[in-house]
Amino acid sequence: MRGPGRWAVLAALVMLAVVMVFPFLIVALNAVKSPEEYSSEGPLSLPDGLYLQGIADFWNRVDFGEKLVNSLLISGSVAVLAVVLSVLNAYALGIGRVRGRLSILVLFLVANTLPQEALAYPLYYLAKELGLYDTRLSMIIIFTVIQAAFGTYLLSAVLGQFPREILEAAEIDGAGRFRALTRIVVPISRPTLSVLMIFFFIWTWNEFFLPLIFLISNDNQTVPVALGVLQGERYMDATMSSASALLGIVPAVVFFLIFQRTLTRGITVGAVK
Amino acid sequence: MIKKTGVAALVAVALALSACGGGEESAADPNQPRVLKLWHYEAAESAMGKAWAEAIKKFEATHPNVKVQFEEKSFEQIQKTASMVLNSDEAPDLMEYNKGNATAGLLSKQGLIADMSEEVTKRGWDKLLPGGLATTARYDERGVMGSGKWFGLPNYGEFVMVYYNKDLFEKHKVDVPATYEEFTAALDTFVKAGVTPVSLAGAEYPAQQIVYQLALSKANRAWVDAFQSYQGKVDFQGPELTYGATTFADWVKKGYVDKKSSGLKAEDMGVAFMKGDFPVMISGSWWYGRVAAEAKGFEWGHFLFPGSTMAPGSSGNLWVVPEKSENKDLAYDFIDITMSKEIQNLLGNSGGVPVAADPAAITDAKSKELIETFNKLTAADGLAFYPDWPAPGYYDVLVAGTQQLINGTKAPAEVLTEIAGPYEDNLADLGN
Repeated sequence: MRGPGRWAVLAALVMLAVVMVFPFLIVALNAVKSPEEYSSEGPLSLPDGLYLQGIADFWNRVDFGEKLVNSLLISGSVAVLAVVLSVLNAYALGIGRVRGRLSILVLFLVANTLPQEALAYPLYYLAKELGLYDTRLSMIIIFTVIQAAFGTYLLSAVLGQFPREILEAAEIDGAGRFRALTRIVVPISRPTLSVLMIFFFIWTWNEFFLPLIFLISNDNQTVPVALGVLQGERYMDATMSSASALLGIVPAVVFFLIFQRTLTRGITVGAVK
Repeated sequence: MIKKTGVAALVAVALALSACGGGEESAADPNQPRVLKLWHYEAAESAMGKAWAEAIKKFEATHPNVKVQFEEKSFEQIQKTASMVLNSDEAPDLMEYNKGNATAGLLSKQGLIADMSEEVTKRGWDKLLPGGLATTARYDERGVMGSGKWFGLPNYGEFVMVYYNKDLFEKHKVDVPATYEEFTAALDTFVKAGVTPVSLAGAEYPAQQIVYQLALSKANRAWVDAFQSYQGKVDFQGPELTYGATTFADWVKKGYVDKKSSGLKAEDMGVAFMKGDFPVMISGSWWYGRVAAEAKGFEWGHFLFPGSTMAPGSSGNLWVVPEKSENKDLAYDFIDITMSKEIQNLLGNSGGVPVAADPAAITDAKSKELIETFNKLTAADGLAFYPDWPAPGYYDVLVAGTQQLINGTKAPAEVLTEIAGPYEDNLADLGN
């Protein structure tokens, strides 16, 4: 594209970027203000100096390091396990051509659209019966299943297009079904799987409702649940909430920056190279 | 076959992980070390946070074999999960919980929190709670507050008052009003000078509390009992609520409150007052400590709403003892310590409103003023609770109603008819 059109697109993108970044800017701005400054100057004023006490206080108050470990453990396990589960399911549904696979996929899709509020009570009773209530394991199992439902749906569609010739060649060379999966299907679909894993990680990281209900002890809580401590009944500590929000999004941003190359590669990868 | 291997692997991982979790319970032998599991959701630097931290220290000093295992919870988590937690083995031995029919009342009806009536009379807690403070601690078998057994105990109170900016009052030569006429005259003075006098938030509780406060200035205790505890019939088109709604609509017309405030949150209202933009804010004592700490640009004070002996207000949140607790005796000992003069005085000196403090022991001047006002209100039996209490989900109904009053989209009588609906529906559900 040449001429004024380019500039119009650039201007539109800049506008969009400003609109997207503005809330984060406000959060960052208020995170480094003292509460007195916030109350006397309002949320939009520039801070007089760097006030980092809010961030430090919040860190200590909720033992943020521990929450980070919990979130990492849960999101990391879910990302890996859900991808494994999705691949196994999708291999059966997409390549294995199980009878009635369409109805199975529709079932997965429906399960995926269920609101979590509807799941809360059944899951609560199940977890309580199994002695898993208030454990990180309960969250890992539940989110592995929830994320794998989506993963199965997506991967089945991808593997449905998998080149038959490659699989047949492998079969002639004497590869069994399991070998075909680990040596042929997984390596070729690796870019898609990495993207899926990153999405699962970030989605699980940001989950709030089910962790709120299942992770009762402070020792087990995840980052988003810990952020809720600051929102009182009638009272909101705006500066500390900003500080905590900043702390809460930093890990996800870091994770994204580390893996962004994998992400773009996965999205642009072609079916057959 | 392939799938089975995967599932088996998952199960193996699951079992390995579950082996890491799990906890242990302590036995109830008197000499054994014991643990009191305590939850509350007050910030550490708030008045309650400070007082209760001290109570924990005192408790551990008097009970050397007991360790208090305290966890600060989020308000939202307790609200959303209380019935689930209390129904499981993870329940604490003692926790803070919201008062009211939809919260503590519901838990009492479900049998999840313990009836502590016996302890209350034995330890004399009932004598420490004057004028309406005990109402929120007692629930009948329908979970309706005001009578029946004791299911909780409040440590502190709260009430709605008028905060005013002394500097702006002086600048416009306005005196602290003693009657409602003087109050409106003062507000008129500000409007004439081009200042919107009352900081307001229409999207949350403040607007409905003002409407209710205005209605209370024409009401008596019997009306409040009828409205809140269903002891009689409430006429939504009667003189009390009609006065409240029409006068509030009048306030909007006369410019006492800003029409634009219908979309504001309580936080915006408070910050606007603390910035010094408004001479008056009508809201609760929960702002008091924060205004004292953060409003540095001007002198401020407070007074009860002129021309009314009653004000929105109640006891604070309750200590409740879960039915599943195995350490109820320790929980009651702890509550007893929080009701002691020492802890109550600390609560008062930290900017809270204690229920049983010794006024002479309150040294902080601003705290003393606040507690004196509160004592004046309770002595006159003036705690009238909050307008959103009588029915579940009523808060949102009232927010919508008051927003219509602020925007002028509906006449007061129409709004009253609209808010009467859910109230009557709830009465029918309760079988009244």
